[in-house]
Amino acid sequence: MNRSQLDHILKAHHRDAYLWARQCCSFEDEMAKDVLQQAYLKILEGQAKLKDASKAKTWLFSIIRYTAINEFRKAGKVVSLSDSYDPVELTEEVDATDYQGIIKHLPEMQREVILMVFYHQMTIAQSAEILQIGLGTARTHYDRGKKKLKELITKVQIQEEYGK
Amino acid sequence: MENDEQLERFFDQMKKQDERIEIPAFPEVKTRKFGFWIPAGIAASMIFAFLFIQEPAPIESTTPEVVIITLVEDENQNQHFTIEESTFLDTWESPTASLLTEY
Repeated sequence: MNRSQLDHILKAHHRDAYLWARQCCSFEDEMAKDVLQQAYLKILEGQAKLKDASKAKTWLFSIIRYTAINEFRKAGKVVSLSDSYDPVELTEEVDATDYQGIIKHLPEMQREVILMVFYHQMTIAQSAEILQIGLGTARTHYDRGKKKLKELITKVQIQEEYGK
Repeated sequence: MENDEQLERFFDQMKKQDERIEIPAFPEVKTRKFGFWIPAGIAASMIFAFLFIQEPAPIESTTPEVVIITLVEDENQNQHFTIEESTFLDTWESPTASLLTEY
């Protein structure tokens, strides 16, 4: 695959790629821009190679996620991959329209699977590929994430009603 | 499914909100790879240097390895030495060979 073909693929997915980078960087814009730039550089320098053009989006998302994790490590921030199923605790008041704030309450893996499926319209199998986990594990994260997010949304709605 | 509808609504609204996010322009990424002309130029310079700057190897002159000292008697019966230098020796006579004939 030559440079212009790669450019074309990257440009076609640029918006989604930036939004995914943001989601991988805890919705921090500057970090997301930096991560995306580094991911593009890896691709154009040939450090990451696309073998199957039909999997371009999965491949790109995977590189972005990996680069974001690396950035967190460099910054000394530990990324928790634990998948707790404790009842959702909302310590502070969250606005019902603060979607990012709500989704940040989900554990890392659950959040990523849910975002990939519901926000980026990917399949659970594609999410499993990006997260480099088995399909069964991805399904578990998906089910738990869905349940937890639903609880969160309900809690926020109740909080708002009591507030009024 | 009711659950999924609730989540789909949530994400639809989230996407709507995200439409306001300013997407950075696609960056003009300059790779750190060397272009074609840099290594080609280096190779051409090296070939040029090899062909034109190379000094001709000096031709080694053969140094004489044999010194022939001969005692010669002239017509006045005076003896004197002649010294010749050569790279080879045609004949060799033992210095004591004369003892066999003269004594």
